Amino acid sequence: MMAVTPSWLFLSSLSAMAFYLDLSWISKIQVNKPAVLRRAEQIQARRPVKKEWQAAWLLKAVTCIDLTTLSGDDTASNVQRLCYKAKYPIREDLLKALNMHDKGITTAAVCVYPARVCDAVKALKAAGCDIPVASVATGFPAGQTHLKTRLEEIRLAVEDGATEIDVVINRTLVLTGQWKALYDEIRQFRKACGEAHLKTILATGELGSLTNVYKASMIAMMAGSDFIKTSTGKETVNATFPVAIVMLRAIRDFFWKTGNKVGFKPAGGIRSAKDSLVWLSLIKEELGDEWMKPELFRIGASTLLADIERQIYHHVTGRYAAYHDLPMS
Amino acid sequence: MAATRTASRAGEIFTTLEYGPAPESHACALAWLDTQDRHLGHYVNGQWLKPEHRSSVPCQDPITGENLASCLQAQSEDVAAAVEAARASLENWSTQPGAFRAQHLTRLAKAIQKHQRLLWTLESLVTGRAVREVRDRDVPLAQQLLQYHAVQAHTQEEALAGWEPMGVIGLILSPTFPFLDMMWRICPALAVGCTVVVLAPPASPTPLLLAQLAGELGPFPGILNVISGPASLGPVLAAQPGVQKVAFCGAIEGGLRLLIQEAVWDETMRRLQERMGRLRCGRGLDGAVDMGARGDAARDLAQRYVREAQSQGAQVFQAGSVPSDSPFFPPTLVSDLPPASPCTQAEVPWPLVVASPFRTAKEALAVANGTPRGGSASVWSERLGQALELAYGLQVGTVWINAHGLRDPAVPTGGCKESGSSWHGGQDGLYEYLRPSGTPAWIPYLSKTLDYDSFGLALPSALPAGPETGPAPPYGLFVGGRFQAPGARSSRPIRDSQGSLLGYVAEGGAKDIRGAVEAAHQAAPGWMSQSPAARAALLWALAAALQRREPNLVSRLERHGVELKVAKVEVELSVKRLRAWGARVQAQGCALQVAELRGPVLRLREPLGVLAIVCPDEWPLLAFVSLLAPALAHGNTVVLVPSGASPIPALEVCQEMAALLPAGLVNVVTGDRDHLTRCLALHQDIQALWYFGSAQGSQFVEWASAGNLKPVWVNRGCPRAWDQEAEGAGPELGLRAAWTKALWLPMGD
Repeated sequence: MMAVTPSWLFLSSLSAMAFYLDLSWISKIQVNKPAVLRRAEQIQARRPVKKEWQAAWLLKAVTCIDLTTLSGDDTASNVQRLCYKAKYPIREDLLKALNMHDKGITTAAVCVYPARVCDAVKALKAAGCDIPVASVATGFPAGQTHLKTRLEEIRLAVEDGATEIDVVINRTLVLTGQWKALYDEIRQFRKACGEAHLKTILATGELGSLTNVYKASMIAMMAGSDFIKTSTGKETVNATFPVAIVMLRAIRDFFWKTGNKVGFKPAGGIRSAKDSLVWLSLIKEELGDEWMKPELFRIGASTLLADIERQIYHHVTGRYAAYHDLPMS
Repeated sequence: MAATRTASRAGEIFTTLEYGPAPESHACALAWLDTQDRHLGHYVNGQWLKPEHRSSVPCQDPITGENLASCLQAQSEDVAAAVEAARASLENWSTQPGAFRAQHLTRLAKAIQKHQRLLWTLESLVTGRAVREVRDRDVPLAQQLLQYHAVQAHTQEEALAGWEPMGVIGLILSPTFPFLDMMWRICPALAVGCTVVVLAPPASPTPLLLAQLAGELGPFPGILNVISGPASLGPVLAAQPGVQKVAFCGAIEGGLRLLIQEAVWDETMRRLQERMGRLRCGRGLDGAVDMGARGDAARDLAQRYVREAQSQGAQVFQAGSVPSDSPFFPPTLVSDLPPASPCTQAEVPWPLVVASPFRTAKEALAVANGTPRGGSASVWSERLGQALELAYGLQVGTVWINAHGLRDPAVPTGGCKESGSSWHGGQDGLYEYLRPSGTPAWIPYLSKTLDYDSFGLALPSALPAGPETGPAPPYGLFVGGRFQAPGARSSRPIRDSQGSLLGYVAEGGAKDIRGAVEAAHQAAPGWMSQSPAARAALLWALAAALQRREPNLVSRLERHGVELKVAKVEVELSVKRLRAWGARVQAQGCALQVAELRGPVLRLREPLGVLAIVCPDEWPLLAFVSLLAPALAHGNTVVLVPSGASPIPALEVCQEMAALLPAGLVNVVTGDRDHLTRCLALHQDIQALWYFGSAQGSQFVEWASAGNLKPVWVNRGCPRAWDQEAEGAGPELGLRAAWTKALWLPMGD
């Protein structure tokens, strides 16, 4: 059974992690793009999940969602609505029908801009739950601000009560090949996070090549990230399967080399329940069952949850839901 | 009740996160079988043929063993009926404009598209193969094949001018074949205007379904006929009057051999095992299964191999989620097999991978080329220079760099050595079903009196026949760049048409052939690595030398009884042939664009190796040069037997070659033609053999060359017009003088 208080909150990643900087781990890497593309194409057709399996997997996907709102027009009221939806992601009667109503099914976190962290913390407290609040930081989404203010942003978000920080990396350092400098920056993010979890957004759509994606993943992990995340959702290309395969292989290589499990978070463009099933099966195929839990897998999404709820509704009732049948977030 | 069961499962799956069954309904496949009352006959001339008094075999689900249908077994009369149907529709079909045939093939592609679910469920149901493999790869590719060949048919009159369809094609399918292999062969055959009779193995309904789809299109029901029956009917099919060619489609690829550089051995093995551990094996009709089963026989074969490998000291790794019951067999990785053990030599069965380490790329190449098989291979390396060098060096029909198993209708797929010498797909595939316009149709005639054991075995003893008149011809066998005395140390007299002695030539034998082949092999690497320009330069130099020697050659020909005017033409044409092939050599190979792949596919024309040529008696100089020139132009080294009646002009040419060509590039052995033919045909290390002589000799060559499956080209006793452009210097010679290799180069960073 899932604990109501997510256990990963108490993992002190700062002290548990050893830090490495071994540039030989990335110097020889060359990603075979055509092979990655083929694998990405295959994975989408090879592991269909049907019937009860589909319902169970979809609920698992719900528990891995970082329910996100990152808009210029976010205010306390829509953040509050989001937090309530995070607590009650699926209509109670549907969960009851599946006998899953007492399994503490909530989303994994809510994810907001730094200025909305206070609102989110307050709303979740009011709803009486311990769902963590994740805040984007470090000049999200472009990262083109001074290092000093980027670090300050992290500290302020943590002060406001965010326990997970989604930082964006400095793409300039990747594109100019300054891997050591990238490592140093992420190390500073890590320190600024303190006890909070560090999720490092690679913004893979702006890195130029899959080989760069691998190298950036490895550097982010060596610098102590708890998660590596595909994208901000604001780039033109977001979470794609080829990029995910490269990042997952990097996570596996890092695990084989160090014994440390780093989490993975695709974000941006994941909208359908079917997509979420493919993402879960991708994790299962590439990393194994141990990664299929919110401690090591998150989906950054805003509209996905509504589609999952619709699919569960259909599974339970045999009917397709009307828009007004399900509560909005 | 139902609701609670569902609910309790959901909670459990939520924790275990296992995969559930994802069965693909095969109701439509069963419904189709029901239309025939579960009793399948043959599909001939657009109708089901269910003759009485035939035995039948059951068609079973290879996984459950359930009886799906019973299939009638053909007898000779049924084969004859099918061939008759194909013959009857041939005239109408082959005389249609290409554009019309193109429309018909497009309609068949549409029909497949409309009924694809039936096709893939039926194929998966009866073969046990994973449905996703059939659905996602085979069915789309089958449609692409039809569409590609429709385009080829559309442009046939222009692009393939000078060629005509062979006629009725017999196709024999092996017991374990995917229906796609049938499509690779019938599409080009139908496109160019041939009609087809397929002999499908017992209990294989998919070819019948395809024939029905084609037959129901209407106007040309007889172009595709399918009969099922035992392999023993193969010779019956081949012997039917009107059958112009029999294509045989071997078993599908079995296991794999993997060569891994020592430096990355551990890492590669670890990754391989990790990936193999995630493979899912199960009922083919389950959509989430990677591997189906191929029946008990395949499983037992794999089992035996694994046991034997273990007893020879090999490490065996088996993984994946595999049902424990028969007929499933897990994907298996075998390593540490001693190089000399019998298992290393044997063919690897499905679903096994045998991994062995190598130290250098050169060593890997030697190991990979050191087998009699030459189908396909893939090279995995991030160093493109090294990968390309290996890819060029591999003696296989298809090489993929950093990819595996890609196919495309536009890319010729074939093989060399024992993997066969025919091509499917691309332009090369079309020529398999065409013959130069005007060439006579093949009459299946096998002499029952030909004794294979004694043909050309005995050497008639040659006795001195008096003094030579006129200038003595060059004497000796031209081997390794110089004239040598024959091993038998005896000579045969050559007479002109009136019977007067022209001179003696050396009497070559088995040992001389051996020596000539060795010399040719030694010269081969050097000649192959010459640039086309260098080859052309040498051919042109030889042409110039022949021109200088013209008076001499003309008088030699005259002494053989050739008219002066004709002799002059013969020498002139010979010079022209050398120049023409020298020029053509520069325009070989090309890059193809393929839909599914970013990056080019290179179509390379590779030399065959050592090519043996038995020249015809007629046109002693022109035929000799016409055959020699394309062989050299394509990078082969050659062992020639010149005209038996008039070998002297060829020996004159040898005198020039001694001065111009690298030693061993061309070797000319005179002597008894039957005897020399026997020696050549039975030589295992000759890569191809062209024979122009008697019908009996042709028959012997085809029979004997089966020993190493070397490609042969025989004339079956029909004379050829060597002085005509089409027959003496046509594209057919160029096609025969080299084999095609496809090199896939995916790109992207």
